[in-house]
Amino acid sequence: MTFPILPAHELGLVLAVLIGFGFGFVLERAGFGRANKLAAQFYGHDMTVFKVMFSAIVTAMLGVVLASVVGLADFKALADHATSSTFLVPMVAGGFLLGAGFIVSGYCPGTSFVAMASGKIDALMTVIGVVAGQVLWAELEWRPGFATFHNAGNLGNFYLWELFRLPASSGPFVVALAVTVMAVGCFVGAEKLERVLAARADPRAIATPAGRPGRFVFAGLAAAAAFGLVGLATPTGAREGTRDAAGITPLALARRVFDEPWKVRIVDLRPIEACSAKRIPGAECVPAEKLDALGLADADPARDLVLVASEPLAGTPAAAAAYPGRVLALEGGWAAWEAFALAPPAPPAAGAPAADLEAYRLRAGIHAAMTGMKAAPPPVPTASPGAPRKAGGGGCSG
Amino acid sequence: MQRNPDKFWNPYLAGVALGLVLLTSFLVMGSGLGASGASLRAGIAAIDLLVPGHVASTPPLARAAESEHVTWLVFEILGVLLGGVVAAYTSGRLKREVLKGPRIGNGARLALALAGGLLMGAAAKMTRGCTSGQALSGGALLSVGAWAFMFSVFGGGYALAFFLRRQWR
Repeated sequence: MTFPILPAHELGLVLAVLIGFGFGFVLERAGFGRANKLAAQFYGHDMTVFKVMFSAIVTAMLGVVLASVVGLADFKALADHATSSTFLVPMVAGGFLLGAGFIVSGYCPGTSFVAMASGKIDALMTVIGVVAGQVLWAELEWRPGFATFHNAGNLGNFYLWELFRLPASSGPFVVALAVTVMAVGCFVGAEKLERVLAARADPRAIATPAGRPGRFVFAGLAAAAAFGLVGLATPTGAREGTRDAAGITPLALARRVFDEPWKVRIVDLRPIEACSAKRIPGAECVPAEKLDALGLADADPARDLVLVASEPLAGTPAAAAAYPGRVLALEGGWAAWEAFALAPPAPPAAGAPAADLEAYRLRAGIHAAMTGMKAAPPPVPTASPGAPRKAGGGGCSG
Repeated sequence: MQRNPDKFWNPYLAGVALGLVLLTSFLVMGSGLGASGASLRAGIAAIDLLVPGHVASTPPLARAAESEHVTWLVFEILGVLLGGVVAAYTSGRLKREVLKGPRIGNGARLALALAGGLLMGAAAKMTRGCTSGQALSGGALLSVGAWAFMFSVFGGGYALAFFLRRQWR
Protein backbone atom coordinates (compact mmCIF):
# COMPACT_ATOMS: atom_id res chain seq x y z
CA MET A 1 0.00 0.00 0.00
CA THR A 2 1.72 3.17 -1.24
CA PHE A 3 -1.01 5.65 -0.38
CA PRO A 4 -1.79 7.62 1.68
CA ILE A 5 1.65 9.18 1.93
CA LEU A 6 0.99 10.92 5.30
CA PRO A 7 3.75 13.55 5.25
CA ALA A 8 5.22 15.03 8.43
CA HIS A 9 3.09 17.64 10.21
CA GLU A 10 4.94 20.73 8.93
CA LEU A 11 5.10 19.56 5.32
CA GLY A 12 1.44 18.60 5.64
CA LEU A 13 0.59 22.20 6.56
CA VAL A 14 2.33 23.50 3.43
CA LEU A 15 0.41 20.96 1.36
CA ALA A 16 -2.77 22.03 3.18
CA VAL A 17 -2.42 25.54 1.77
CA LEU A 18 -1.83 24.17 -1.74
CA ILE A 19 -4.75 21.71 -1.56
CA GLY A 20 -6.94 24.44 -0.07
CA PHE A 21 -5.94 26.78 -2.88
CA GLY A 22 -7.16 24.26 -5.44
CA PHE A 23 -10.35 23.72 -3.43
CA GLY A 24 -11.11 27.45 -3.18
CA PHE A 25 -10.19 28.20 -6.79
CA VAL A 26 -12.41 25.46 -8.20
CA LEU A 27 -15.34 26.34 -5.93
CA GLU A 28 -15.18 29.99 -7.03
CA ARG A 29 -14.93 29.12 -10.72
CA ALA A 30 -17.85 26.69 -10.42
CA GLY A 31 -19.98 29.61 -9.18
CA PHE A 32 -20.05 28.58 -5.52
CA GLY A 33 -19.06 32.08 -4.41
CA ARG A 34 -22.44 33.40 -5.44
CA ALA A 35 -25.31 32.86 -3.03
CA ASN A 36 -28.00 33.19 -5.71
CA LYS A 37 -26.47 30.37 -7.72
CA LEU A 38 -26.17 28.11 -4.68
CA ALA A 39 -29.72 28.83 -3.52
CA ALA A 40 -31.03 28.23 -7.05
CA GLN A 41 -30.33 24.53 -6.46
CA PHE A 42 -33.38 24.45 -4.21
CA TYR A 43 -35.65 26.08 -6.80
CA GLY A 44 -34.73 23.57 -9.51
CA HIS A 45 -33.72 25.88 -12.34
CA ASP A 46 -29.97 25.65 -11.73
CA MET A 47 -28.70 22.31 -10.48
CA THR A 48 -25.02 23.36 -10.48
CA VAL A 49 -24.53 22.46 -6.81
CA PHE A 50 -25.77 18.95 -7.39
CA LYS A 51 -23.78 18.49 -10.61
CA VAL A 52 -20.48 19.77 -9.24
CA MET A 53 -20.82 17.91 -5.95
CA PHE A 54 -21.70 14.56 -7.46
CA SER A 55 -19.11 14.75 -10.25
CA ALA A 56 -16.54 15.49 -7.54
CA ILE A 57 -17.72 12.62 -5.32
CA VAL A 58 -17.72 10.16 -8.23
CA THR A 59 -14.30 11.35 -9.48
CA ALA A 60 -12.61 11.04 -6.09
CA MET A 61 -14.37 7.74 -5.37
CA LEU A 62 -13.31 6.20 -8.69
CA GLY A 63 -9.79 7.52 -8.15
CA VAL A 64 -9.51 5.66 -4.86
CA VAL A 65 -11.16 2.59 -6.43
CA LEU A 66 -8.64 2.53 -9.30
CA ALA A 67 -5.73 3.06 -6.88
CA SER A 68 -7.04 0.09 -4.88
CA VAL A 69 -7.45 -2.10 -7.97
CA VAL A 70 -3.81 -1.63 -8.94
CA GLY A 71 -2.72 -2.17 -5.34
CA LEU A 72 -1.52 1.36 -4.53
CA ALA A 73 -4.13 1.94 -1.82
CA ASP A 74 -6.67 0.03 0.23
CA PHE A 75 -10.17 1.46 -0.06
CA LYS A 76 -11.34 0.44 3.41
CA ALA A 77 -8.10 1.36 5.17
CA LEU A 78 -8.17 4.80 3.56
CA ALA A 79 -11.85 5.23 4.38
CA ASP A 80 -11.24 4.22 8.01
CA HIS A 81 -8.52 6.85 8.17
CA ALA A 82 -10.39 9.65 6.43
CA THR A 83 -14.03 9.35 7.48
CA SER A 84 -15.65 9.89 10.84
CA SER A 85 -17.77 7.26 12.57
CA THR A 86 -21.43 7.19 11.64
CA PHE A 87 -23.67 8.72 14.32
CA LEU A 88 -26.97 8.23 12.58
CA VAL A 89 -29.30 10.31 14.76
CA PRO A 90 -27.34 13.58 15.00
CA MET A 91 -26.20 13.22 11.38
CA VAL A 92 -29.73 13.03 10.01
CA ALA A 93 -31.05 15.74 12.36
CA GLY A 94 -27.98 17.94 11.83
CA GLY A 95 -28.15 17.40 8.07
CA PHE A 96 -31.70 18.71 8.06
CA LEU A 97 -30.62 21.73 10.14
CA LEU A 98 -27.66 22.35 7.86
CA GLY A 99 -29.91 22.21 4.81
CA ALA A 100 -32.18 24.77 6.48
CA GLY A 101 -29.18 26.97 7.25
CA PHE A 102 -28.05 26.57 3.63
CA ILE A 103 -31.25 27.96 2.14
CA VAL A 104 -31.49 30.70 4.82
CA SER A 105 -27.90 31.92 4.35
CA GLY A 106 -27.35 30.96 0.72
CA TYR A 107 -24.04 29.28 1.52
CA CYS A 108 -22.60 26.21 3.13
CA PRO A 109 -19.68 26.58 5.56
CA GLY A 110 -17.03 25.94 2.86
CA THR A 111 -18.52 28.15 0.17
CA SER A 112 -19.06 31.00 2.64
CA PHE A 113 -15.26 31.22 2.99
CA VAL A 114 -14.86 31.41 -0.79
CA ALA A 115 -17.57 34.07 -1.14
CA MET A 116 -16.10 36.06 1.75
CA ALA A 117 -12.73 35.98 -0.01
CA SER A 118 -14.36 37.45 -3.12
CA GLY A 119 -15.75 40.37 -1.12
CA LYS A 120 -19.34 39.35 -0.37
CA ILE A 121 -20.53 40.99 2.85
CA ASP A 122 -23.38 38.48 3.32
CA ALA A 123 -20.82 35.67 3.23
CA LEU A 124 -18.82 37.41 5.95
CA MET A 125 -21.94 37.37 8.12
CA THR A 126 -22.39 33.65 7.40
CA VAL A 127 -18.77 32.92 8.33
CA ILE A 128 -19.30 34.72 11.66
CA GLY A 129 -22.53 32.77 12.17
CA VAL A 130 -20.81 29.43 11.52
CA VAL A 131 -18.07 30.25 14.04
CA ALA A 132 -20.68 31.14 16.66
CA GLY A 133 -22.76 28.05 15.88
CA GLN A 134 -19.75 25.72 16.13
CA VAL A 135 -18.83 27.13 19.53
CA LEU A 136 -22.46 27.01 20.68
CA TRP A 137 -22.84 23.30 19.94
CA ALA A 138 -19.37 22.49 21.28
CA GLU A 139 -20.48 24.11 24.55
CA LEU A 140 -23.62 21.96 24.63
CA GLU A 141 -22.68 18.61 23.08
CA TRP A 142 -20.97 17.08 26.11
CA ARG A 143 -23.48 18.22 28.73
CA PRO A 144 -25.93 15.70 30.16
CA GLY A 145 -29.01 15.39 27.99
CA PHE A 146 -27.27 16.77 24.91
CA ALA A 147 -24.55 14.10 25.01
CA THR A 148 -27.09 11.29 24.62
CA PHE A 149 -28.41 12.89 21.46
CA HIS A 150 -24.96 13.86 20.18
CA ASN A 151 -23.74 10.25 20.36
CA ALA A 152 -26.98 8.48 19.45
CA GLY A 153 -26.98 5.86 16.70
CA ASN A 154 -23.23 5.26 16.79
CA LEU A 155 -22.47 2.60 14.18
CA GLY A 156 -18.69 3.10 14.09
CA ASN A 157 -17.03 3.24 10.68
CA PHE A 158 -19.93 1.96 8.62
CA TYR A 159 -19.99 1.81 4.82
CA LEU A 160 -22.61 1.41 2.13
CA TRP A 161 -21.30 -1.99 1.07
CA GLU A 162 -21.73 -3.18 4.66
CA LEU A 163 -25.24 -1.75 4.72
CA PHE A 164 -26.08 -3.77 1.60
CA ARG A 165 -24.31 -6.82 3.05
CA LEU A 166 -21.79 -7.15 0.23
CA PRO A 167 -18.47 -8.93 0.82
CA ALA A 168 -15.66 -6.63 1.99
CA SER A 169 -13.38 -7.72 -0.87
CA SER A 170 -15.63 -6.66 -3.76
CA GLY A 171 -18.24 -4.49 -2.02
CA PRO A 172 -16.56 -1.09 -2.42
CA PHE A 173 -16.13 -1.67 -6.16
CA VAL A 174 -19.69 -2.81 -6.75
CA VAL A 175 -21.15 0.12 -4.77
CA ALA A 176 -18.82 2.56 -6.56
CA LEU A 177 -20.09 1.33 -9.93
CA ALA A 178 -23.70 1.63 -8.75
CA VAL A 179 -23.10 5.18 -7.46
CA THR A 180 -21.51 6.15 -10.80
CA VAL A 181 -24.44 4.78 -12.79
CA MET A 182 -26.90 6.52 -10.45
CA ALA A 183 -25.01 9.83 -10.66
CA VAL A 184 -24.86 9.85 -14.48
CA GLY A 185 -28.57 9.00 -14.58
CA CYS A 186 -29.29 11.90 -12.21
CA PHE A 187 -27.13 14.26 -14.31
CA VAL A 188 -29.22 13.49 -17.38
CA GLY A 189 -32.37 14.05 -15.32
CA ALA A 190 -31.00 17.36 -13.95
CA GLU A 191 -30.35 18.61 -17.50
CA LYS A 192 -33.96 17.83 -18.44
CA LEU A 193 -35.36 19.50 -15.32
CA GLU A 194 -33.33 22.66 -15.95
CA ARG A 195 -34.66 22.93 -19.49
CA VAL A 196 -38.24 22.61 -18.23
CA LEU A 197 -37.77 25.27 -15.54
CA ALA A 198 -35.45 27.54 -17.58
CA ALA A 199 -38.26 29.94 -18.53
CA ARG A 200 -38.61 31.03 -14.89
CA ALA A 201 -34.88 31.38 -14.30
CA ASP A 202 -33.30 34.32 -12.51
CA PRO A 203 -31.00 35.96 -15.10
CA ARG A 204 -28.26 36.17 -12.43
CA ALA A 205 -28.23 32.41 -12.03
CA ILE A 206 -28.45 30.74 -15.40
CA ALA A 207 -27.29 27.15 -15.53
CA THR A 208 -24.34 26.24 -17.73
CA PRO A 209 -25.57 23.41 -19.96
CA ALA A 210 -23.66 20.13 -19.99
CA GLY A 211 -22.74 20.46 -23.68
CA ARG A 212 -19.90 18.47 -25.17
CA PRO A 213 -17.61 18.63 -22.10
CA GLY A 214 -20.44 17.23 -20.01
CA ARG A 215 -20.87 14.26 -22.29
CA PHE A 216 -17.10 13.65 -22.22
CA VAL A 217 -17.23 13.64 -18.42
CA PHE A 218 -20.13 11.16 -18.38
CA ALA A 219 -18.25 8.87 -20.75
CA GLY A 220 -15.01 9.22 -18.75
CA LEU A 221 -16.69 8.40 -15.44
CA ALA A 222 -18.47 5.40 -16.94
CA ALA A 223 -15.21 4.15 -18.46
CA ALA A 224 -13.34 4.55 -15.16
CA ALA A 225 -16.07 2.67 -13.33
CA ALA A 226 -16.03 -0.11 -15.93
CA PHE A 227 -12.24 -0.31 -15.69
CA GLY A 228 -12.55 -0.63 -11.92
CA LEU A 229 -14.92 -3.55 -12.38
CA VAL A 230 -12.73 -5.22 -15.03
CA GLY A 231 -9.76 -4.93 -12.70
CA LEU A 232 -11.88 -6.48 -9.99
CA ALA A 233 -12.92 -9.41 -12.18
CA THR A 234 -9.36 -10.13 -13.30
CA PRO A 235 -7.85 -12.48 -10.72
CA THR A 236 -4.37 -10.97 -10.67
CA GLY A 237 -4.18 -11.40 -6.94
CA ALA A 238 -2.64 -7.94 -6.84
CA ARG A 239 -5.04 -6.68 -4.20
CA GLU A 240 -4.72 -9.59 -1.83
CA GLY A 241 -0.97 -9.95 -2.37
CA THR A 242 -0.17 -6.34 -1.62
CA ARG A 243 -2.42 -5.93 1.35
CA ASP A 244 0.26 -4.93 3.80
CA ALA A 245 -0.72 -4.52 7.41
CA ALA A 246 -0.47 -0.94 8.61
CA GLY A 247 2.06 -0.40 11.37
CA ILE A 248 1.18 0.41 14.97
CA THR A 249 3.81 1.78 17.33
CA PRO A 250 4.30 0.18 20.75
CA LEU A 251 3.03 3.44 22.32
CA ALA A 252 -0.14 3.44 20.26
CA LEU A 253 -0.72 -0.23 21.07
CA ALA A 254 -0.14 0.35 24.79
CA ARG A 255 -2.72 3.12 24.75
CA ARG A 256 -5.25 0.89 23.03
CA VAL A 257 -4.62 -1.97 25.45
CA PHE A 258 -5.45 0.41 28.29
CA ASP A 259 -8.22 2.46 26.75
CA GLU A 260 -10.20 0.08 24.58
CA PRO A 261 -8.97 -3.52 24.91
CA TRP A 262 -12.26 -4.73 23.48
CA LYS A 263 -11.45 -3.08 20.15
CA VAL A 264 -8.18 -4.91 19.52
CA ARG A 265 -7.43 -8.58 19.01
CA ILE A 266 -3.75 -9.18 19.57
CA VAL A 267 -2.26 -12.31 18.05
CA ASP A 268 1.25 -13.24 19.15
CA LEU A 269 3.00 -15.21 16.39
CA ARG A 270 6.10 -16.16 18.42
CA PRO A 271 6.79 -19.78 19.43
CA ILE A 272 4.37 -20.94 22.12
CA GLU A 273 7.01 -21.11 24.92
CA ALA A 274 8.18 -17.55 24.40
CA CYS A 275 4.64 -16.31 24.21
CA SER A 276 3.45 -18.12 27.34
CA ALA A 277 6.36 -16.69 29.30
CA LYS A 278 5.73 -13.04 28.47
CA ARG A 279 3.16 -11.43 26.25
CA ILE A 280 1.13 -8.29 25.75
CA PRO A 281 -1.90 -8.38 28.07
CA GLY A 282 -4.82 -10.00 26.30
CA ALA A 283 -2.72 -11.44 23.47
CA GLU A 284 -3.56 -14.85 22.03
CA CYS A 285 -0.57 -17.19 21.56
CA VAL A 286 -0.85 -18.47 18.00
CA PRO A 287 2.46 -19.57 16.45
CA ALA A 288 2.75 -18.37 12.85
CA GLU A 289 2.32 -21.85 11.37
CA LYS A 290 -0.98 -22.36 13.20
CA LEU A 291 -2.48 -19.05 12.04
CA ASP A 292 -4.55 -20.79 9.35
CA ALA A 293 -6.42 -22.78 12.00
CA LEU A 294 -7.77 -19.56 13.52
CA GLY A 295 -10.24 -19.03 10.67
CA LEU A 296 -9.55 -15.31 10.51
CA ALA A 297 -11.27 -14.96 7.15
CA ASP A 298 -14.62 -15.61 8.80
CA ALA A 299 -13.90 -13.85 12.11
CA ASP A 300 -15.88 -10.89 13.40
CA PRO A 301 -14.22 -7.80 11.89
CA ALA A 302 -15.28 -5.45 14.71
CA ARG A 303 -11.89 -5.62 16.44
CA ASP A 304 -8.62 -4.58 14.83
CA LEU A 305 -6.24 -7.50 14.43
CA VAL A 306 -2.74 -6.71 15.76
CA LEU A 307 0.07 -9.05 14.78
CA VAL A 308 3.09 -9.41 17.06
CA ALA A 309 6.10 -11.28 15.72
CA SER A 310 9.57 -11.91 17.19
CA GLU A 311 11.14 -9.61 14.62
CA PRO A 312 9.54 -7.03 12.31
CA LEU A 313 7.15 -8.73 9.88
CA ALA A 314 8.36 -8.88 6.28
CA GLY A 315 4.85 -9.26 4.87
CA THR A 316 1.38 -10.00 6.10
CA PRO A 317 0.72 -13.76 6.37
CA ALA A 318 -2.02 -14.82 3.95
CA ALA A 319 -4.23 -16.07 6.77
CA ALA A 320 -4.12 -12.68 8.49
CA ALA A 321 -4.57 -10.76 5.25
CA ALA A 322 -7.87 -12.56 4.78
CA TYR A 323 -9.21 -11.00 8.00
CA PRO A 324 -12.16 -8.80 7.00
CA GLY A 325 -11.35 -6.04 9.53
CA ARG A 326 -8.28 -3.86 9.93
CA VAL A 327 -4.94 -5.63 10.23
CA LEU A 328 -2.11 -3.90 12.08
CA ALA A 329 1.44 -5.08 12.67
CA LEU A 330 3.36 -4.06 15.77
CA GLU A 331 6.27 -1.98 14.50
CA GLY A 332 9.57 -3.58 15.46
CA GLY A 333 7.82 -6.72 16.67
CA TRP A 334 8.20 -8.15 20.18
CA ALA A 335 11.69 -6.70 20.59
CA ALA A 336 10.33 -3.18 20.26
CA TRP A 337 7.57 -3.93 22.78
CA GLU A 338 10.03 -5.35 25.27
CA ALA A 339 12.29 -2.31 24.93
CA PHE A 340 9.36 0.05 25.20
CA ALA A 341 7.04 -1.38 27.81
CA LEU A 342 9.05 -3.90 29.84
CA ALA A 343 12.33 -2.01 30.27
CA PRO A 344 12.29 0.74 32.89
CA PRO A 345 12.68 4.12 31.20
CA ALA A 346 15.70 6.23 32.04
CA PRO A 347 14.71 9.17 34.24
CA PRO A 348 15.26 12.51 32.54
CA ALA A 349 18.11 14.73 33.65
CA ALA A 350 17.38 17.56 36.04
CA GLY A 351 16.09 20.59 34.19
CA ALA A 352 14.88 18.56 31.23
CA PRO A 353 12.18 20.24 29.13
CA ALA A 354 8.57 19.67 30.14
CA ALA A 355 7.92 17.49 27.07
CA ASP A 356 10.66 15.04 28.16
CA LEU A 357 9.25 14.91 31.67
CA GLU A 358 5.79 14.22 30.31
CA ALA A 359 7.13 11.45 28.05
CA TYR A 360 8.97 9.93 31.00
CA ARG A 361 5.87 9.92 33.18
CA LEU A 362 3.90 8.20 30.45
CA ARG A 363 6.59 5.56 29.86
CA ALA A 364 7.02 4.94 33.57
CA GLY A 365 3.26 4.52 33.94
CA ILE A 366 3.09 2.03 31.10
CA HIS A 367 6.10 0.14 32.46
CA ALA A 368 4.58 -0.11 35.94
CA ALA A 369 1.23 -1.26 34.62
CA MET A 370 2.63 -3.78 32.16
CA THR A 371 5.14 -5.40 34.50
CA GLY A 372 2.87 -5.35 37.55
CA MET A 373 -0.13 -6.62 35.70
CA LYS A 374 -0.81 -10.24 36.63
CA ALA A 375 -4.50 -10.51 36.00
CA ALA A 376 -6.03 -10.80 32.57
CA PRO A 377 -7.30 -7.54 31.10
CA PRO A 378 -11.00 -6.76 31.41
CA PRO A 379 -13.25 -9.12 29.45
CA VAL A 380 -14.95 -8.08 26.24
CA PRO A 381 -18.06 -6.15 27.26
CA THR A 382 -21.28 -7.51 25.89
CA ALA A 383 -22.66 -4.05 25.14
CA SER A 384 -21.93 -2.56 21.71
CA PRO A 385 -18.41 -1.13 21.61
CA GLY A 386 -19.69 2.32 20.71
CA ALA A 387 -22.05 2.69 23.65
CA PRO A 388 -21.96 6.31 24.81
CA ARG A 389 -19.54 6.84 27.59
CA LYS A 390 -20.73 8.55 30.69
CA ALA A 391 -19.90 12.21 30.42
CA GLY A 392 -17.66 13.74 33.03
CA GLY A 393 -16.52 10.41 34.45
CA GLY A 394 -17.61 10.98 38.13
CA GLY A 395 -15.94 9.61 41.23
CA CYS A 396 -12.42 10.35 42.31
CA SER A 397 -11.04 10.08 38.78
CA GLY A 398 -12.81 13.27 37.72
CA MET B 1 -8.12 38.07 -21.19
CA GLN B 2 -11.78 38.95 -21.30
CA ARG B 3 -13.48 38.79 -17.90
CA ASN B 4 -17.13 37.94 -17.74
CA PRO B 5 -18.37 37.71 -14.15
CA ASP B 6 -21.39 35.67 -15.24
CA LYS B 7 -19.35 32.98 -16.94
CA PHE B 8 -18.60 29.90 -14.89
CA TRP B 9 -16.82 26.64 -15.59
CA ASN B 10 -18.83 23.79 -17.00
CA PRO B 11 -20.26 22.20 -13.83
CA TYR B 12 -19.15 18.68 -14.73
CA LEU B 13 -15.59 19.75 -15.52
CA ALA B 14 -15.53 21.82 -12.32
CA GLY B 15 -16.77 18.74 -10.47
CA VAL B 16 -14.01 16.57 -11.93
CA ALA B 17 -11.44 19.24 -10.99
CA LEU B 18 -12.83 19.37 -7.45
CA GLY B 19 -12.79 15.57 -7.33
CA LEU B 20 -9.12 15.53 -8.32
CA VAL B 21 -8.30 18.01 -5.53
CA LEU B 22 -10.18 15.77 -3.10
CA LEU B 23 -8.44 12.66 -4.45
CA THR B 24 -5.05 14.34 -3.97
CA SER B 25 -5.99 15.10 -0.38
CA PHE B 26 -7.03 11.46 0.18
CA LEU B 27 -3.90 9.97 -1.33
CA VAL B 28 -1.41 12.41 0.16
CA MET B 29 -2.89 13.33 3.53
CA GLY B 30 -5.12 10.31 4.12
CA SER B 31 -7.99 12.67 4.88
CA GLY B 32 -10.52 14.68 2.94
CA LEU B 33 -11.31 18.37 2.66
CA GLY B 34 -13.08 20.32 5.37
CA ALA B 35 -14.22 23.75 6.44
CA SER B 36 -16.19 23.88 9.67
CA GLY B 37 -13.27 22.64 11.80
CA ALA B 38 -11.36 25.80 10.91
CA SER B 39 -14.35 27.91 12.01
CA LEU B 40 -14.33 26.16 15.38
CA ARG B 41 -10.64 26.95 15.80
CA ALA B 42 -11.39 30.62 15.04
CA GLY B 43 -14.08 30.53 17.74
CA ILE B 44 -11.64 28.93 20.18
CA ALA B 45 -9.14 31.73 19.53
CA ALA B 46 -11.85 34.31 20.27
CA ILE B 47 -12.89 32.56 23.50
CA ASP B 48 -9.27 32.38 24.63
CA LEU B 49 -9.09 36.16 24.35
CA LEU B 50 -12.40 36.82 26.12
CA VAL B 51 -12.49 34.12 28.83
CA PRO B 52 -9.00 32.66 29.45
CA GLY B 53 -9.09 29.10 30.78
CA HIS B 54 -12.57 28.31 29.51
CA VAL B 55 -11.35 26.25 26.54
CA ALA B 56 -9.35 23.86 28.72
CA SER B 57 -12.39 23.17 30.92
CA THR B 58 -14.70 22.38 27.99
CA PRO B 59 -13.74 18.97 26.58
CA PRO B 60 -14.98 19.42 22.98
CA LEU B 61 -13.19 22.77 22.69
CA ALA B 62 -10.03 21.42 24.31
CA ARG B 63 -9.98 18.47 21.91
CA ALA B 64 -10.37 20.72 18.88
CA ALA B 65 -7.72 23.11 20.20
CA GLU B 66 -5.17 20.29 20.35
CA SER B 67 -6.17 18.34 17.25
CA GLU B 68 -3.49 18.26 14.55
CA HIS B 69 -6.17 17.60 11.97
CA VAL B 70 -7.98 20.81 12.91
CA THR B 71 -4.70 22.71 12.55
CA TRP B 72 -4.41 21.16 9.12
CA LEU B 73 -7.92 22.39 8.30
CA VAL B 74 -7.00 25.94 9.36
CA PHE B 75 -4.13 25.97 6.87
CA GLU B 76 -6.34 24.38 4.25
CA ILE B 77 -8.91 27.17 4.73
CA LEU B 78 -6.13 29.76 4.41
CA GLY B 79 -5.49 28.17 1.02
CA VAL B 80 -9.22 28.27 0.23
CA LEU B 81 -9.33 32.01 0.95
CA LEU B 82 -6.27 32.55 -1.23
CA GLY B 83 -7.68 30.41 -4.04
CA GLY B 84 -11.01 32.21 -3.75
CA VAL B 85 -9.40 35.66 -4.05
CA VAL B 86 -7.29 34.66 -7.05
CA ALA B 87 -10.18 32.96 -8.84
CA ALA B 88 -12.56 35.87 -8.14
CA TYR B 89 -10.04 38.48 -9.22
CA THR B 90 -9.15 36.72 -12.47
CA SER B 91 -12.81 36.24 -13.36
CA GLY B 92 -13.92 39.78 -12.52
CA ARG B 93 -16.02 38.74 -9.52
CA LEU B 94 -13.85 40.33 -6.82
CA LYS B 95 -16.24 43.04 -5.62
CA ARG B 96 -17.59 44.23 -2.29
CA GLU B 97 -21.34 43.62 -2.45
CA VAL B 98 -24.31 41.94 -0.82
CA LEU B 99 -25.71 39.07 -2.85
CA LYS B 100 -29.50 38.61 -2.72
CA GLY B 101 -32.67 38.38 -4.75
CA PRO B 102 -34.41 41.52 -6.03
CA ARG B 103 -37.17 41.62 -3.39
CA ILE B 104 -35.25 41.86 -0.13
CA GLY B 105 -33.32 44.66 1.59
CA ASN B 106 -29.65 44.57 2.58
CA GLY B 107 -30.36 44.53 6.33
CA ALA B 108 -32.76 41.60 6.15
CA ARG B 109 -30.38 39.70 3.88
CA LEU B 110 -27.44 40.17 6.24
CA ALA B 111 -29.53 39.10 9.24
CA LEU B 112 -30.64 35.95 7.41
CA ALA B 113 -27.06 35.22 6.35
CA LEU B 114 -25.96 35.43 9.98
CA ALA B 115 -28.87 33.29 11.22
CA GLY B 116 -28.27 30.67 8.53
CA GLY B 117 -24.60 30.57 9.44
CA LEU B 118 -25.46 30.03 13.10
CA LEU B 119 -27.76 27.12 12.21
CA MET B 120 -25.12 25.56 9.95
CA GLY B 121 -22.36 25.99 12.50
CA ALA B 122 -24.28 24.15 15.20
CA ALA B 123 -25.44 21.52 12.70
CA ALA B 124 -21.95 20.87 11.35
CA LYS B 125 -20.60 20.28 14.86
CA MET B 126 -23.43 17.82 15.46
CA THR B 127 -22.72 15.93 12.24
CA ARG B 128 -18.92 15.80 12.69
CA GLY B 129 -18.37 17.81 9.53
CA CYS B 130 -20.12 20.05 7.02
CA THR B 131 -20.91 19.61 3.35
CA SER B 132 -17.16 19.56 2.58
CA GLY B 133 -15.91 17.29 5.34
CA GLN B 134 -18.89 14.99 5.66
CA ALA B 135 -20.92 14.94 2.41
CA LEU B 136 -18.09 15.41 -0.09
CA SER B 137 -15.22 13.54 1.58
CA GLY B 138 -17.26 10.94 3.47
CA GLY B 139 -19.59 10.48 0.49
CA ALA B 140 -16.70 9.69 -1.86
CA LEU B 141 -15.54 7.00 0.58
CA LEU B 142 -19.07 5.56 0.84
CA SER B 143 -19.64 6.22 4.55
CA VAL B 144 -23.26 5.53 5.49
CA GLY B 145 -23.38 8.55 7.82
CA ALA B 146 -22.15 10.86 5.06
CA TRP B 147 -24.81 9.69 2.63
CA ALA B 148 -27.59 9.94 5.22
CA PHE B 149 -26.34 13.44 6.02
CA MET B 150 -26.27 14.43 2.34
CA PHE B 151 -29.86 13.38 1.69
CA SER B 152 -30.85 15.15 4.89
CA VAL B 153 -29.19 18.40 3.74
CA PHE B 154 -31.04 18.38 0.43
CA GLY B 155 -34.24 17.49 2.31
CA GLY B 156 -33.82 20.42 4.69
CA GLY B 157 -33.10 22.84 1.85
CA TYR B 158 -36.04 21.79 -0.29
CA ALA B 159 -38.38 21.76 2.71
CA LEU B 160 -37.70 25.42 3.51
CA ALA B 161 -37.08 26.74 -0.03
CA PHE B 162 -40.70 27.78 -0.52
CA PHE B 163 -40.75 29.94 2.61
CA LEU B 164 -37.55 31.74 1.69
CA ARG B 165 -38.38 32.45 -1.95
CA ARG B 166 -38.65 36.20 -1.26
CA GLN B 167 -34.96 36.26 -0.41
CA TRP B 168 -33.84 34.73 -3.69
CA ARG B 169 -36.38 35.28 -6.47
